[in-house]
Amino acid sequence: MSACLHCDQEVVESYYADEEHLCGPFCCNGCLTVYNVINHKGLSEYYQIKKDVSFFKKRAPVELSSAQYSFMDDQDFIAEYSYKGLNNESTMEFYLEGIHCLACLWIIEKLPEFVPGVKSSKLNMGQSVVSIVLDENGKFSKAAHELNQLGYRPHPLKINQSSKELKTKEDRSMLLRIGIAAAASGNIMMYAVSLYAGAGEEYASFFNLLTVLFAVPVLTYCAWPFYRTSWQALKNRTLSIDVPISMALIMGAVMGLYNLFTGVNENYFDSLSALVFLLLLSRYFLKTIQEMGLSTTDLHFFYQGESVLRANNEALSEFSEIHPKFIRPHDILKIKQSHIIPADGEIISGNSYVNNSLLTGESEPQKVSIGSSVFSGTLNISSDLVMKVNKINSDTRLGSILRNIENGWGQKAKIIDITNLISKYFVAAVFILSGLLFIYSYEPGHVKEALERALTLLIVTCPCALAIATPLTFIRTLSKSAQKGIIIKDDAVIETLSKAENVFIDKTGTITQNDLQIVSFSILHEPIISFYDVIHNLEKNSQHPVAKTLKKYIHPLPYKDLEVSDFKETPGVGVSGIIADQHYEIKNNSIYQNSKIIIQFIARDSIRNDAKESIEKLKAHGLKLKILSGDLKEHVEKIAKMVGLNADEFEAEMSPEEKNNVIKNSKHTLMIGDGANDAIALASADTGIAVFGAMDISLRAADVYLSLPGLSPAVELITISKETMKVIYRNLVLSLLYNSISVLLAFTGHISPLTAAIVMPLSSLTVLISTLIGTKKLRMIWK
Amino acid sequence: MEIMPFLIPIALIIAAFFIGGFIWMTKKGQYDDLETPRHRMLLEEDIKVTHTKEGEL
Repeated sequence: MSACLHCDQEVVESYYADEEHLCGPFCCNGCLTVYNVINHKGLSEYYQIKKDVSFFKKRAPVELSSAQYSFMDDQDFIAEYSYKGLNNESTMEFYLEGIHCLACLWIIEKLPEFVPGVKSSKLNMGQSVVSIVLDENGKFSKAAHELNQLGYRPHPLKINQSSKELKTKEDRSMLLRIGIAAAASGNIMMYAVSLYAGAGEEYASFFNLLTVLFAVPVLTYCAWPFYRTSWQALKNRTLSIDVPISMALIMGAVMGLYNLFTGVNENYFDSLSALVFLLLLSRYFLKTIQEMGLSTTDLHFFYQGESVLRANNEALSEFSEIHPKFIRPHDILKIKQSHIIPADGEIISGNSYVNNSLLTGESEPQKVSIGSSVFSGTLNISSDLVMKVNKINSDTRLGSILRNIENGWGQKAKIIDITNLISKYFVAAVFILSGLLFIYSYEPGHVKEALERALTLLIVTCPCALAIATPLTFIRTLSKSAQKGIIIKDDAVIETLSKAENVFIDKTGTITQNDLQIVSFSILHEPIISFYDVIHNLEKNSQHPVAKTLKKYIHPLPYKDLEVSDFKETPGVGVSGIIADQHYEIKNNSIYQNSKIIIQFIARDSIRNDAKESIEKLKAHGLKLKILSGDLKEHVEKIAKMVGLNADEFEAEMSPEEKNNVIKNSKHTLMIGDGANDAIALASADTGIAVFGAMDISLRAADVYLSLPGLSPAVELITISKETMKVIYRNLVLSLLYNSISVLLAFTGHISPLTAAIVMPLSSLTVLISTLIGTKKLRMIWK
Repeated sequence: MEIMPFLIPIALIIAAFFIGGFIWMTKKGQYDDLETPRHRMLLEEDIKVTHTKEGEL
């Protein structure tokens, strides 16, 4: 199968940019449109650059949006979201969807060349955040519009200056610690090697002094985080992996200083500072990987939907675009077709269909008219509505679900992960053994020898496999998953996921596409004019979901405009009219010609391409599956059958609270879902996976977010987590083996602290290699 | 070995110089974004956008 020229997804239905089908293929109209825009603006170099780079993150196809972003020129908005610089410049930051590879960087940083008023545009690829600087004539709406046209949907980020500064400060001090530890341990190595090689008496004490000098900043400033966390752990009367590390550092330093003052030119500052450097480095990498996705607080802003139109006057003659944040109760809002309703309220004008599935799980769109209540988070499908706002933010139905989550409705059972558990016992064992060794080898008047042997044990059993190899394994898994479009919030997820037994899956939007499709179309009698002409001319202006689906169905056919007389649309029933002297009617999933049924069709929310296969794979993993849906029983039953699940493997018509109860009563749970009605369940399951297109609220509740559509990334993630845990267990066994041998040697007095310092890196090296090799399955997945 | 009293101070000065430089650059924010610059350097400076007329789209 070929890949989309723009987004590199597999193409199911090809679109081409030209008649001859030479330019393409594209997976969807969105990608094709963006391709045309890019070419038009003279940015076609983009595709050349994209072809030349091998590395890129997977991304989803472009979804077209017609947002205008004029609210960004509003003074209130600018005051809140941007900050002023020198010469009247203003800066605003945007999170961009769809940042992908080097070519994205190129095209986004070219913005000043083709958008007037943009002074500079700098992209941070790791976070997908661009900061746009405008001169006094520039407009943020223009820049945002251009970004949107290029296929990167922009979401303005509110910059919290103080928390941002704090984070920058923290990041910088971490880098400083690493850099200083690296430089100092490098320099110490120079003098230490000379000492090992037997430097002459006149230099030996001087070199010894130098190593101490270099080690001072490493053991104080650089190692400070270890001391702090160990102190905290001790205060809480627990043990953490940092405790033995701190102990080894302090004892090593004391011994080294003691030797310096007694004139013995022997110390372990070389291995101690190398240890500090490696530990800091591995922690830094883990931290950066975890921060690759957006933080949840940032996510909050952009799933509120884009701008909304608010009436400026009572007569409803004028509307202006505002950001959803500025909506107040009693505002009159115009909700355009296919926009998300941003607040709870009442319809005061217009008729439409609303998709409540995100809130309730019902797949069938509900008809709304004047006087109907609508809820925040639901989707207006068919035509423009005017509503009066009753409740906003936390007072809405969506807000109350959110409050439930925050109040611990969906609190996770606390899981102590294996590495923490082992490290606790391990650390305690090491301390006890060191103490025993000290007592065992203590002879009156020879405190130093006993201390030395105890230190040897501490160094040689330094839990490198736990302290370095485990984070490294998680780093690899998290970063490779991120490249595959799987964003994992916390590395503990890998372990809980590998233990999952009961998998609960939401139906709407997860197994199905939450989008009607024609699944059967049978022509009983050939109509006098072609059926696509009938559909096209009758449904031309209709915004009913079924009408839209029919129009999509006939899209590739050569329909033409014909004259329709006596046209009638009966809301909730159908459309009728006279074409070429024949009376046609479309209603009840049928097309009538002169009151006789000629065509019957079924429009249904269809299952995703990969749903059946994914469910089979999940079953092959030995997992128990169950569909939990808020939809009607007959719909759920049909879908369950289609993906090969039995009658006892689904539950329908469930409220968010019922979903939560089912999960709370099972063990080792995994919930996969997208809507707000899944949010509590996502939060209370051991692992919650929010699928592509999920709502803000479910994103916050979930532990994993799939940025690609479909269930298959979730299946892949389960395999990945199982294989990753295999690597971690292997490393634990290897290092425990190493450590038991060295404990034996230390007790029998066969190794000195010096040999210990040499043997220790060897054991680390073994586990590092084991981590990098991974397992066969992981290698296959990572390819 | 007479060279040693001369070499060691030089080594120390060089080390101090680079550590100082590193601290200075970190504080100036040179290392705030470690991801993008390594990609950015691969791009040609001189690929220019061929301008199209405003409003053509």
